[in-house]
Order: sequence, then structure tokens, then C-alpha cells
Amino acid sequence: MIELSNVSKRYGTKVAVEDLNLQIQPGELFAFLGPNGAGKTTTIKMICGLLFPTSGTIRVGGLDMRTQGDQARLLISYLPDVPYLYEKLTGREFLQFIADMYGLDRATALQKMDEVIAQFELDDFVDDLTERYSHGMRQRTVFTSALLHNPKVLIVDEPTVGLDPASVRKLKNILLDQVRTGTTVFLSTHSLDIVQELATRIGIIHRGRLIGCGSLESLRTQASLDGSLEEVFLKLTDETVEDTQAVTQT
Amino acid sequence: MSATASLLTERQNWLFQRLRWRLLNNSCRQFFASSRIRLVSIILCSLMVAGAVGGASWEGFSLLAVNRIPFAGGIIGILFDFLFLSLSVMLFFSGGIIIYGSLFSSSETAFLLSMPARADRIFAYKFQTATAFSSWAFILLGCPILFAYGLVYSVSWYFYLVLPVVLLGFVLLPGSLGSIACLLLVNLLPQRRKQALTVFAVLFLVFIGWRAAVIAMAARDSLNSGNRDSLQNLFAQFEFARSPFAPSHWMTQSLQAAARGDPQSVTLPVALIWSNGLFAYLLAAVSARYLYRRGYNRIATGTELRKRYGGHWLDKTAMSALRFLDKPTRLLFVKDFRTFRRDPVQWAQILIFSGLVLLYILNSRQFYREDFPERFRQGISLMNLAAMAMLMCAFMGRFIYPMISLEGKKFWVLGLLPISRDRLIWGKFFFAASGAIVIAEVMTLISDLILAMQPVAIVIHVVTIAVLALGLSGLSVGLGAWLANFRETDPSKIAVGMGGTLNLVAGLLFLVLTIGLMAGPYHIILMFRDEVPEKFIPAIIGGILLGLALGFCAVTIPIRVGIRTLRTMEF
Repeated sequence: MIELSNVSKRYGTKVAVEDLNLQIQPGELFAFLGPNGAGKTTTIKMICGLLFPTSGTIRVGGLDMRTQGDQARLLISYLPDVPYLYEKLTGREFLQFIADMYGLDRATALQKMDEVIAQFELDDFVDDLTERYSHGMRQRTVFTSALLHNPKVLIVDEPTVGLDPASVRKLKNILLDQVRTGTTVFLSTHSLDIVQELATRIGIIHRGRLIGCGSLESLRTQASLDGSLEEVFLKLTDETVEDTQAVTQT
Repeated sequence: MSATASLLTERQNWLFQRLRWRLLNNSCRQFFASSRIRLVSIILCSLMVAGAVGGASWEGFSLLAVNRIPFAGGIIGILFDFLFLSLSVMLFFSGGIIIYGSLFSSSETAFLLSMPARADRIFAYKFQTATAFSSWAFILLGCPILFAYGLVYSVSWYFYLVLPVVLLGFVLLPGSLGSIACLLLVNLLPQRRKQALTVFAVLFLVFIGWRAAVIAMAARDSLNSGNRDSLQNLFAQFEFARSPFAPSHWMTQSLQAAARGDPQSVTLPVALIWSNGLFAYLLAAVSARYLYRRGYNRIATGTELRKRYGGHWLDKTAMSALRFLDKPTRLLFVKDFRTFRRDPVQWAQILIFSGLVLLYILNSRQFYREDFPERFRQGISLMNLAAMAMLMCAFMGRFIYPMISLEGKKFWVLGLLPISRDRLIWGKFFFAASGAIVIAEVMTLISDLILAMQPVAIVIHVVTIAVLALGLSGLSVGLGAWLANFRETDPSKIAVGMGGTLNLVAGLLFLVLTIGLMAGPYHIILMFRDEVPEKFIPAIIGGILLGLALGFCAVTIPIRVGIRTLRTMEF
């Protein structure tokens, strides 16, 4: 469903992502981990077609993001780490806008909106202007809008920031439900416990390079460590730093 | 493209219109419900400006009509050509700058670009907003002039019918060309943008300087000889504005024909205005379809991911020069100064416009010669002072007024600092006033020295400019805090919004009154007498004292209102 082939991205002379190859299957929950500034958000923005790779190709649902981006984006829902809402729209009006943008007919849109509003418990505030929403309310509204059109690919960047424990639990269940219905979920987060609990496969990116990719077991094998994901993650990223330093010194 | 995708993109135009309508509707409802006093003040001030512009225009047109000046129609035609040409230039630049901010540095467009919204539809949606913002002042200032013309000459009813049609068509062309220029610059400008922009600014200044010099020479010859040929030569310098291919001339033709009640002669220029405007818009939309996403990617990733910024000698100099302020205020000053100097869009505009005014001042020497009567020198000197004041007023409106609003959602950082919020306002006030005083005083001194003005005149000018710099800073900072708009991130939109327009109007009123009180009497007396008679000295001193009092009020009242707003502001 998502295919990255030899993708590199440069910011001026700095390399943000280097020679990244990934294939993510339908119905897979792929967790994308990495330290701050590793290239996660850049990769996500390229998958959504917001940025173009300097070299390499990205395909979503078999469509090239550079040449068939508008069609490919019909399949995608993207939840950025800082979600955008129109301050002068109510939550319901915002959902209506998203439903229209993805071409849902009126009856389906209304039915689906009622469904997701109930699912995320937005009833109390959905008719207020979004400028009055708290961070958690904004997150829930944006998540609701992302699921409105039954996306084939759900790309989520740091979804748990600002959510209370009950909402986080709900979010986990919803992500699992999405995966069960065949949606591909690309999840970027620093919450390793969520990844350990939900992910089918985990990719670790560090300094623009994919340093590990596979199930938790295979990462443990790679790190030669039988510990938690946190320990594996720290070991792999530390090793990369040491390797880089060794190469620099020689 | 699949049939579904194609159908969806066709619906997007309607979808964006509905979005705009909903946003406008909700904003208006909220605005009417919560800030009636603010709304009434803005409407009253706008009416005052429109009334003042209309009144001045009425006087001017009446002068032409009552004195039966020969070729009055021709003179009005030339004036209209210049008016629409200068408005075209203004709309081109302001449209280009606003569309840049809307397309490339707004979180809304990043959101829209991540959805299946077509690039040209997003462009069209943002273009309409940008055009509305950039032509707001055009409508406010242009309409009263045209209405005054219509009333003085008792034009046909047809004129008022044609007026909105041509105005609406007219804003399309410069706005579209500005957008195309913006898209091309973003896509084609080399990665070393700062250097490229500097080269562009220098070339632009050289070109404008050359044109100004040629026009000044022609004007001087015309004034010297006073014969028909030299006057013809002066008019020839502006021939491009009267070319049959100039949109400004189509506007003049259509309005003058409508005023005569000649519908047949209106048709061609109106058709030219609309067809060219729509064609330029279409060209801009097609360019956006192919260049917008590419340009967005280029802007987002064209520069280094992390750029290292260190201390700068300018910051240290500012810190040392402002030792008379307490440390927190100085730190706030340096924060604003850093933000300003790291934004080339801001200082490049100041550089270009200050350069233009400097060129004008240097060229103004051409208008004055020893054998000219003294009143010319006094008039030019007063005009230069007014030009400096206008420049300061424009800068304050564009750069200082939006400063508090631009703190935006980061305001909590300042709000939680262990310093009083009053200091935030005073920090911004000192930032604005110090920059304005340094630039304006230097340029005024250059102007006075070039014109070899008397020491008394120089002292009056220095004091007047200081009062203007302080007063305009007080107005912009105070009103900026009172009418802060934390939701808008584009400074040009804040500057041309309702609050920004109110600030501009207040600034213009203040500068007219201050110059009229402080410098006007001295120059006007010397226009008619060889020296200032003693009996007028108390009036001149009285005017200066009144100006000082007015300046004091312009600083303290808005700042106090701004401080009161900030003290009670929740964030």
C-alpha cells in the first residue's frame, strides 16, 4: 500500500532522509520510531505529497505521489503532530468540510458524521467554534475527521500528545479497528509502550537512515538484546552513533 | 485522472466558496455580538478617511470646474491615469506579498495541501482572499475620489453603474500578475535567496533612480522655461501611463466615457479590463497548478534544515546603546530586533522604500535653484518633511502595528515571564521609536542640508520628526495591543485588516496635525515673507508646543489603552 524506493531528501546541503526503502502492506500497523530530528516528519510529509523526494519514488495505493498526488491523497488521511482546525468553524462544520472534500454524498456524510461524533464523544462541544476547544478536544475532532471517509492509509504523527488516559485507550482501540478493516496505519510516535502493544512492524530511523525494520523480535535479534522496545531502541540508536563516530575518526 | 477524482476536483470550487462563506458568517456574527464599540470606531474612522479624501478631491475638481481651466478633461484624464497606474503598482506588490504569505507560510495551506485539494483550487481560494485584502485600501481611498469627480461634474447615472464593474475587473489584473511573479520567484529564484534579492533590490533602485532623475530634469526644464515644449516633454515622461495598452488608461477611458453618458465608448475599455484581468487570472491559476506544490516543496526544503545563528554585533551595540533602559526592557528590545533583522522580507521592504525616498530627496535639489523664489525652497522642504512622515507612518502600520498580534499563540511565553506586561509594550515602543528616529532624522538632515535650509528650520524639523517618530510608535504599539489579532499569522494581512486600517488613518491624522502645527506655520510665513515677523513668533512657538502636547497624547493614550488590554488579556 505504501512503497518508498531509494528515497532521499535534502534540505539545502543537509541530508534529512537517505536512501530509504520501505514497503508497507494493506492492514499493517507500521510504527516509525526515531530520535528527534531523525527524519520521521520529513518522511511522513513526503508520503502525503507535501514535500517531494530529492531522489527516489513514493507510491501510495500504486499511485506515484509526484505525478498522481491528487488521486493518491484521496486514499490518505494525515494527522500531523500540530493539527489544523479552522478557528471560525464549529466542529460539525469542519467535519462537513472534510466529508465534502473527500466526496462523500450528503446522506452518507451525515450518517458517518453522527457515527464518529458518537464514537469520539464530541456531542458536548461539536457545535461550538473550534477556537474554544482544549488541546484534547482538538485532537479528538481532528481524529474524527480523519476517519470520516474510511481512508485506505492512515498516517498519524504523535497522536497521543494532550490526550487523557481514557482517550489514549480509545485511540488504541480505534487504530486496531482500522487495521482489522484493512486500513494501513503509519504511526510515528515516541510512546514506545503504544508501539510495543500495537505495531505489526517497527521501523527505526536515525540521522535519515533506516537502521532497523521488522517485528519486535527481529529488532531484539538485531540488537542482541532480549529487553523491552525502549532498551532495543536505545541500543540500536546508540550503536549507530558509535558507528558513525568510529567512521568519522578513521 | 479517474472519473471520481475528476468529479471531486470539479466540486472543490463550490466547496471553497462555501468554506469562505461559513468562515465569514461565523466571524461576523461573533464580531457583531462581542465588539460593537470596536466596530463602530472602525466604521467611523473609515468614514472619516473616506470623507477627508472625498472632500479634498471635491475641492480639487471644483477648482478645475469653477475656474474653467482649459483642457480640464485632459488634466483629469492624466490624473486618473496616474492614480490607476500607482494603484496598479501598489496592488501588484501587495497582492504578490499577501499571496506569498497565504500560499507558502500559512498552516492552513499546509493542511489543504495534505488533502486531495487541487493546487489551482487552493490558489484560487487564497487569491480571492489576497485580492480582497490588498484592494481594501484601494476601495476606501479610490471610491471617494471618483465619487467627488462624479458629483462635481454632475456625471450621468451611468457612471455610478459602471464604477463597480470596472473597479472589480481592474483589481484582477495587477493581483494576478503579482501572483504569477510570486510563483515564478519562488520556483526560479536561486537557493541563495538573500543575495539574489539584494541584487534585485539594487537593480530596482537603480532603475527607479534613473527614471526619477529623467523626470526631475524634465520638471526642472519645464519650471525654468515655462514653455509649451518643455511642458510637453514633461508629460511625455509619463506617456507609458497613457499608452492605449496600459490598463490604467482603459480605466480612465471607461470612466470618462461613462461620465459623459456614452455607453458605446465604455464597452471597449471595460471589455479590455475584464478580458485581460480574467486572462491573467487564468494564467495565474494554470501556473499555480504546475508550480504551487513544487514551489511549496522548494520553500520548505530549499534552505539548511538547521541554521546556526549566533550573537551579532548589532545586538550587542543595541544592548549597549540602550543602557538607560532597565535590563528586561532591553532584552525584549533585542528579541524584537533579532526577529526583525532575521526576516529579509521586512528589512528589504524598508531598504527599498527608504532608498526610494532618499532618491527623491536627493533629486528634490533639482527642483530648486538659487534664482528661484524662496517660497519654492520652503515648499520643497515642507514636502520632504511630509514625505518622511508618510514613510514613517507606512512603516509603523506595516511592521510595528502587527508586532503584538504576531506574538500570537506564543504569547503565553511573554505572558508568563516574571516581568510586568507593561514592559512588553514599552519594549516594543522603544524598538519602534529608536529605529524610526535614527532613519528619519538622518534623512531629514540630508534633505535640509541639500536645500541649505536655515538653522531654525533644521531645528524645527528635527523636533517635528522626533515627535512624529514617538507619536506614530505610540499609536502603532498601543493600537496594535488594543486590537491584537492573535489568530492571524500573516503580518501583511494584519496591517491591511480593519484594525490596521484604523491605525493607518489615526497615523495620517496625527501626522497632518503635527506637521500643520509644528512646521507648517514657519514655512508658510516664509513662503510669503523674506523673514519671520516678530508678531508671528509666538504663533510658531505656540504651534510647536501644541505639537509637543499632541505627540505626548499620541504616545500616552494609546499606550495606556494597550497596556490596559494586555493586563487583562487571557492566553
